[in-house]
Amino acid sequence: MQFMLLFSRQGKLRLQKWYTAQPDKLKKKITRELVTTILARKPKMCSFLEWKDMKIVYKRYASLYFCCAIEHDDNELLTLEIIHRYVELLDKYFGSVCELDIIFNFEKAYFMLDELLLGGEVQETSKKNVLKAIAAQDLLQEETDDTKSLLEELGLTG
Amino acid sequence: MMSDAVEKAFAAIPGLISGGLTTITAGSPIHVQGFPSFVHKVCSLTSKYEEEQVVKRELTLVKQRLAQPNITQAQQADCLVRLLFAHVLGYDVSFGYISAVKLAQQGTLAYKRMGYLACTLFLHENHELVLLLINTIQKDINSSNIMDVCMALTATCSLVNTEMIPAILPFVQEKLKHQKEIIRKKAVLCLFKFHRMAPNSVQHIHHSFKEALCDKDPGVMWSALHIYHDLIKHSPSEYQDITQSLVSILQQVVSRKLPADYEYHHVPAPWLQIKLLQVLALLGKDQQKISRVIHPVLAEVLQRSESNQNITFGVVYECILTITSISPDTRLLEYAAKCTGKFLRSKANNLRYLGIKALTKVIQVAPQHALDHQMTVIECLEDPDHTIRAKTLELLYRMCNSVNVKVICDKLLEYMEKDTEKSIKGDIANASLRGEDSVLLFAVQTYWELLQRKDVPNKLIQIGAW
Repeated sequence: MQFMLLFSRQGKLRLQKWYTAQPDKLKKKITRELVTTILARKPKMCSFLEWKDMKIVYKRYASLYFCCAIEHDDNELLTLEIIHRYVELLDKYFGSVCELDIIFNFEKAYFMLDELLLGGEVQETSKKNVLKAIAAQDLLQEETDDTKSLLEELGLTG
Repeated sequence: MMSDAVEKAFAAIPGLISGGLTTITAGSPIHVQGFPSFVHKVCSLTSKYEEEQVVKRELTLVKQRLAQPNITQAQQADCLVRLLFAHVLGYDVSFGYISAVKLAQQGTLAYKRMGYLACTLFLHENHELVLLLINTIQKDINSSNIMDVCMALTATCSLVNTEMIPAILPFVQEKLKHQKEIIRKKAVLCLFKFHRMAPNSVQHIHHSFKEALCDKDPGVMWSALHIYHDLIKHSPSEYQDITQSLVSILQQVVSRKLPADYEYHHVPAPWLQIKLLQVLALLGKDQQKISRVIHPVLAEVLQRSESNQNITFGVVYECILTITSISPDTRLLEYAAKCTGKFLRSKANNLRYLGIKALTKVIQVAPQHALDHQMTVIECLEDPDHTIRAKTLELLYRMCNSVNVKVICDKLLEYMEKDTEKSIKGDIANASLRGEDSVLLFAVQTYWELLQRKDVPNKLIQIGAW
């Protein structure tokens, strides 16, 4: 995967993750054009696009669009399921996720994405394992004495 | 009024304001509004100009705060959150990059996590600041705290560049032996990234790839398959001997030998099935003997993929591609063509689109299957979705032969008459330009007929080049 973008129906970018090094200017250009292209498409149209040299897979969930650029030999339907899995994870974490959750807690959404995808490839397919890893990381925030024992309980200490 | 109330409510959420409301400095205190109220304010503004005012004011404030000598890690993390927010909105926050690096270097626990996140989002592998992170990444990969290791490996994947690989590689390689599969998996994906960037840099550790491929954890093995996918793409003949092992793995996956954890919507490890199918497609290409080893498992994959789940279609689609890539087997091709029909007749646009793509592949190996679907395909030209129409055109050129050229051309011209979109006419012109053997005949005729029309766009006239 080359990048993932989350944007609103109004075309506001909410989250962006680039897996290939690109100059900022190009990123902005790609984002702007792609958002316009996707927003212009009708709801029932197919979720795949051949756009410039890229293969684009996108899906709308409530007020947010999730959009990925993938390699030419990547499977489109599998990419849709990766997006779906990400939404499921956010849903579970925030408890029925909405756009506001992602605006106000975007760093959490990034942490979640980093456990699901690494370097643009899926690293963990089990929902349970991703949430377990995130729960362990969130415990760092508390910095309490019993953090260590909780980590051990979750099987995440070295 | 309403928005005031909401703003207060947001500002009152205590856990979200990690930086505190006031920062005491050596001189006068800087008053800082909580992150949520800042975000709320930005979101409630309707004009770009107002937004710019608010964000720029905030950035100036953040700059001042970051310059304070006694700033705490919590305050630095709070500043970075604000910078990241402004960054996504498109503002230049490069003044704060160095603070992200510092927090990744010196931060503890959650603050280090924030520092690394900001680094991966602000910087990229070719950014000059990443050099400052080499030591930190080395140290953290070696840490006894598993969280530090995870963060460092994640950062490695997005920030290490070709020159840095030799300095980091031994540490990553070491992690392939880690007892936790989450670490082994991340390490393998780092190696995959290195291999993509500079295959030579990891040439001497191919034995480690093999160990990873034989890992007892299916997730680690799957990650290693990414590397093999690339290796095999470049020199398929060198890896023929692993075909049998991959075939048996696929066989085990489809007969549900993996733990239930690996099922996705009741389909056994679809991502693993798809990856294996992609790799087998490369191994069997133009290799009759190898292909014969692969054929039986492909039939099994199709037989066991009967449900109407999206992901099942994903597996079937990949399987069709594999069947058309390796040395042909008549029975399998028939099976593949039958499955393609299911895609084409679907009401879901996604499936129809993939059906058109799959048929394009099928008829390249087995042109006789074109006829079964000819009318369904031609109807796709009427689809309101440009993506589907464009793919259909591509397929029609491939399907075209001396028998059906008249039918297809008539339909195309009829369609062009109705269609008002310039782009699709351009598509036709472009595709005609490719002028491949069987396509040529079709193109000549299209061209001939088009020339007799008055409303043809200039672009089409230009195809007179040939």
